[in-house]
Amino acid sequence: MKRLLLLAALAAACAKPPGKDYSKLVSASPRAILVVPVVNKSVDVDAADYFLSTLSVPLAERGYYVFPINLVKRMLEDDGLSDAALVHGADPVRLCSLFGADAVLYVTIQQWTARYLVVSTQVTVEFDYLLKDGRTGEELWKEHQMRVFDSGSANSGSGGGLLGALVGSLAAAIATKAAPNYMPLAREANVKALEYPGPGIPAGPYRPEYRRDLPSSVTTDPAPPPAASR
Amino acid sequence: MRAHVLVGMLALGALAGPFGCAPKTLYRWGGYDQALYDHYKNPQKRDEFVARLSGIIEEAEKSGGVVPPGCYAEYGWALYEEGRLAEATVYFEKESKLWPESRPLMEKLMRNVARARSSPPAAVPASAPEEAKK
Repeated sequence: MKRLLLLAALAAACAKPPGKDYSKLVSASPRAILVVPVVNKSVDVDAADYFLSTLSVPLAERGYYVFPINLVKRMLEDDGLSDAALVHGADPVRLCSLFGADAVLYVTIQQWTARYLVVSTQVTVEFDYLLKDGRTGEELWKEHQMRVFDSGSANSGSGGGLLGALVGSLAAAIATKAAPNYMPLAREANVKALEYPGPGIPAGPYRPEYRRDLPSSVTTDPAPPPAASR
Repeated sequence: MRAHVLVGMLALGALAGPFGCAPKTLYRWGGYDQALYDHYKNPQKRDEFVARLSGIIEEAEKSGGVVPPGCYAEYGWALYEEGRLAEATVYFEKESKLWPESRPLMEKLMRNVARARSSPPAAVPASAPEEAKK
């Protein structure tokens, strides 16, 4: 019985109903997304660039055009914006117009840490994702993800327990005492953050299900101007 | 016995999980993210990064697949930083053709390249390779 429940929970994890308000995102309908350098609130100075390298693939795989990560970073640096906090604080509309982007994704690292316990190493990553409209500067979507990996219990934080146990060999890869590898956790967090249906964003124009995967609340009511059409 | 079957099913389900939820990828990335990561980890190995970008493009073109978004431009930019301006333009142009969303930016970059080419080479990049390392 317990196992059946687990099975049900697994199935549910695959088909969680979207609980977010997507109306702004759908009406903005961005095609091209600018990913700017990451603000790093952890003490690991390398985390920002390392994490930046993971963002473009999962986002482009959602069907959006994603501007080349390193080119954007270098262009911003040439413009005197080498500090990610400055970039995040800049006007999103101006920023997007510089690149011809429809929207900009800001990501902040809240945690990127390894704790060395007696018999295990605990690796934690935590991120905030925020997508803003390039035309209005309005917030279109946001998400928060945290992943904890404990080499002792081989149990990865949010819901990945069983999978975590099965891929136990990953434990060694992540929790090497000399240099814990944050990247598998970071990638997992990104995939989960963008997953749809789920907390993520609907398919972009390069996915076959573009415009056909929208929540019914958005599709049935495309929010036309009430009296304007008459 | 029944328990064993259940455990087996569970294991199968969990293994299928990541694939069951997400169909196969849109693009052949050829390790673009890993190349970026390695570049940020070892910026002194810049040649390696540039070669890998070139490899990703070659691989995708050869297999008849779509070169992933941003890859032509990323490579073009790397060439631009090395002062290989004529080649850079070729790749900015390719990005622009393949991904219309990139056109405004690519046209801007091509204008910059054209300007740099008409001025003496010493004045070229604010982002010369030696400085790119800091």
